[in-house]
Amino acid sequence: MLKRLLALALTAALTLSMVACGTPAAPAEPEAEGPKTTFRYSELSEIPTLDPQMANSVPSNTAILHIQEPLVRMYNGVIEPGAAESWEISEDGLTYTFHLRDMTWSDGKAVTAQDFEYAIKRLVDPNTASYYGWFACYIKNGTPCNSGELPLEELGVKAIDEKTLEITLEYVADYFLQVVSNACYVATRQDLVEQYGQDFAAAADKNVYNGPFVVKEIKTGDRVILEKNPNYWNADQTKLETVEIIVVANANTAVDMYNAGDLDYVQVPSELKDLYADQISEFFDGSNDFLRVKQDDPNVPTHNKDLRLAINYAINRAEFITLTSNDVYAANPRYVLPQVAGVEKTYGEEYPLEAYPVNGDPEKAKEHLDLALAALGCEAADINIELLTTDSEGSKKQAEVLQQQIQSVLGINITIKQVPYKDRLKMEADHDFELVFTGWAPDYSDPYTYLELQIGNAFYNYGGYNKDFNGNVVENEYDKWMEIAQTTTDKQERMDALFEAEKQLLEDGGIVPLLLRRVLYMKADGLQDLALYFLGARIDFTRAYWA
Amino acid sequence: MAKYILKRIVISLATLLVLITAVFFLVRLMPGDPFASEKMPPDVKANLEAYYGLDKPMIVQYFTYMGQLLKGNMGYSMVYSNKTVNDIVASTFPYSADLGIRALCFAVFFGITLGIVAALRRGKPLDYGCILIAIVGTSVPDFIMGSLLQYFFGVQWKILPVAQYTTWKHTILPAIAVGFYSLASISRYMRTSMLEVISQDYIKTAKSKGISNFRITWKHQIRNAIMPVVTMMGPLVASVLTGTFVIEAMYVVPGMGKYYVESISTYDYTIVLGITVFYGAFLVICNTIVDILYGFIDPRIKIAK
Repeated sequence: MLKRLLALALTAALTLSMVACGTPAAPAEPEAEGPKTTFRYSELSEIPTLDPQMANSVPSNTAILHIQEPLVRMYNGVIEPGAAESWEISEDGLTYTFHLRDMTWSDGKAVTAQDFEYAIKRLVDPNTASYYGWFACYIKNGTPCNSGELPLEELGVKAIDEKTLEITLEYVADYFLQVVSNACYVATRQDLVEQYGQDFAAAADKNVYNGPFVVKEIKTGDRVILEKNPNYWNADQTKLETVEIIVVANANTAVDMYNAGDLDYVQVPSELKDLYADQISEFFDGSNDFLRVKQDDPNVPTHNKDLRLAINYAINRAEFITLTSNDVYAANPRYVLPQVAGVEKTYGEEYPLEAYPVNGDPEKAKEHLDLALAALGCEAADINIELLTTDSEGSKKQAEVLQQQIQSVLGINITIKQVPYKDRLKMEADHDFELVFTGWAPDYSDPYTYLELQIGNAFYNYGGYNKDFNGNVVENEYDKWMEIAQTTTDKQERMDALFEAEKQLLEDGGIVPLLLRRVLYMKADGLQDLALYFLGARIDFTRAYWA
Repeated sequence: MAKYILKRIVISLATLLVLITAVFFLVRLMPGDPFASEKMPPDVKANLEAYYGLDKPMIVQYFTYMGQLLKGNMGYSMVYSNKTVNDIVASTFPYSADLGIRALCFAVFFGITLGIVAALRRGKPLDYGCILIAIVGTSVPDFIMGSLLQYFFGVQWKILPVAQYTTWKHTILPAIAVGFYSLASISRYMRTSMLEVISQDYIKTAKSKGISNFRITWKHQIRNAIMPVVTMMGPLVASVLTGTFVIEAMYVVPGMGKYYVESISTYDYTIVLGITVFYGAFLVICNTIVDILYGFIDPRIKIAK
């Protein structure tokens, strides 16, 4: 009896394992003789979606910008013609007219202005429920259409004919060409969305493509395989034949795979910085971390401007970076990401600013503290402020270094509260914090992408900058500069106004800037023209080739 | 027997219902919300809540979910917006199960063998060797075992591939890493239970009857000693087959483990629920099978019920 049972179990196990043996995919074909044409890189998490209007993550945006052609392309920060051959901007800066080139989808149909009109309306449509629905707020009626207050017909997007698309803006937005270079603004085919419903773009054959590559296969949880699109309008420029985007959830494994020759590009965790010092390169990925400060609550002492400044001067940002990131990140003594575009050069080059010394200034910190204590009528030891952060190890370390630095200089008490990431985001949006460790990645290369968050009545003004205890916006300089920036068409005047606003914010201690994130990476020898940038497709391999 | 089986099945279904209900409400009671994001204006959030039906009262959501579940539809993920839980389970479970079966074959075969050998050679060097393996296996966590194997066999000696799950060679290291803990506990159980059996009177009787040593071990000792191992097989099969987050991430196995862990931190209600239901159902089925198997292996149970 037992023998029979064992035999049965063994047979079953063997059969099962044989069946299962068939499941794993066959390994990629070994490279034939001749130049390499395959590029393999890894993402820490699976690409959430390849549906352009549903995309809300860097992995999605990167992939989509390689399989679909936006109206204009941003390559290394420079705007180039894409699906639009040319465009005109009206004198008041409010009307953009795009002239589309002749190009086709991978099923042979022509790409039309109607495809773009449909895509942008789909992005805004409340029924689509796109995370990036707000990203059409620059377009006339974008916000009310997204909330359902106005019908989609009122949106400022119109296909004049098959090859002409006209977009009317809500307000002057110099950076609008960068906005349309984003993944969520690429054309989408109405017939396919209607045919597949929510499954649209879920598999390679459930969408069509018009970019440099087409999707060959989507293997859930494993990889996405792209193939060169021979019908792409600029196909001569595409040198790679195959691209594999592999999900490698463990960053150390990715480095091991790179070393074993299984990946051509890999991001290196900061702990391994010294080990691979001679092979590592780095780039700023656009993330900018800072503390939001509660300012509109009488029970939270940071409503006092001098206390906020005391905290800002007490922090030694250079030491903070060394202790928490092994000097991978860069200390940031200002608010706006210096890499964003200014008038001619980058904003950082045109408007340098070290609002608070990177090594801190304990003297000045104490001066401001004395003023604050006098105004608040209490001792330093009576002040308790809670620092809210995420429950990861790295966040804990960052919070502890800040706590130690502020406490030792000012003698006030900082307590740390750690909650799960999503919980922190919710508490932040609910204005339920005193100090919160947070960050912002830019949506376009312009100081406005950061500065608009701090406008008095902006939704993202979670800290209540320039608000009184009743939540009303008080008359202030910052909003005036921002108003100028939003109405002028003179580029220099606009940029000057934005810089004035930034200075004002930091003079008021409206936030506590901390750091700019840098990504460490290694790439295989011979891989050329891989463009890494802090916006859009962080990894741009449209022109990459093997030398 | 039929009554016994029927009873087991009814209990299993009730367990599942309680499990689904509990998880459904617990996951919604977690602080934070699935759509929390750095960039989430209220209008967009309202659109998303309406889209996923989260704007409705919780009890309505519950009955909608149960209704869909009865049709076998576990719903669309909130993160992977165009994938359903069914899609995700269908494409990732085969990998987890494949890895699990390999790990299990490895663990059961070597675990039982080591346990038997150790018991028969009690107090001898071979026994100590087996005990050492068991101690290492139970006390070294899988992520250490996994990285050590990967580092030495993959990176240093280049005998086996570092990661990815494509050819049979790629499956060896992750299978050992996943199976080692089970191997160790199986061998410990087997050894203890063998020792108990060896000292029983009926073994002495068998010996005095002149039955060969092999026959005694095979017929009388192993058969009686294997019960505790069978007991632990139910939960073991379920947990090993449904994926292990750490090893799958380390060896780039496109399995289910990742989704389970990830979905909790991303508050992806649909996936948390869907995978819990799947895992729960799987566990319940495995346990039920084990319960029924008892009846076959140990006639006393059949009679008692």
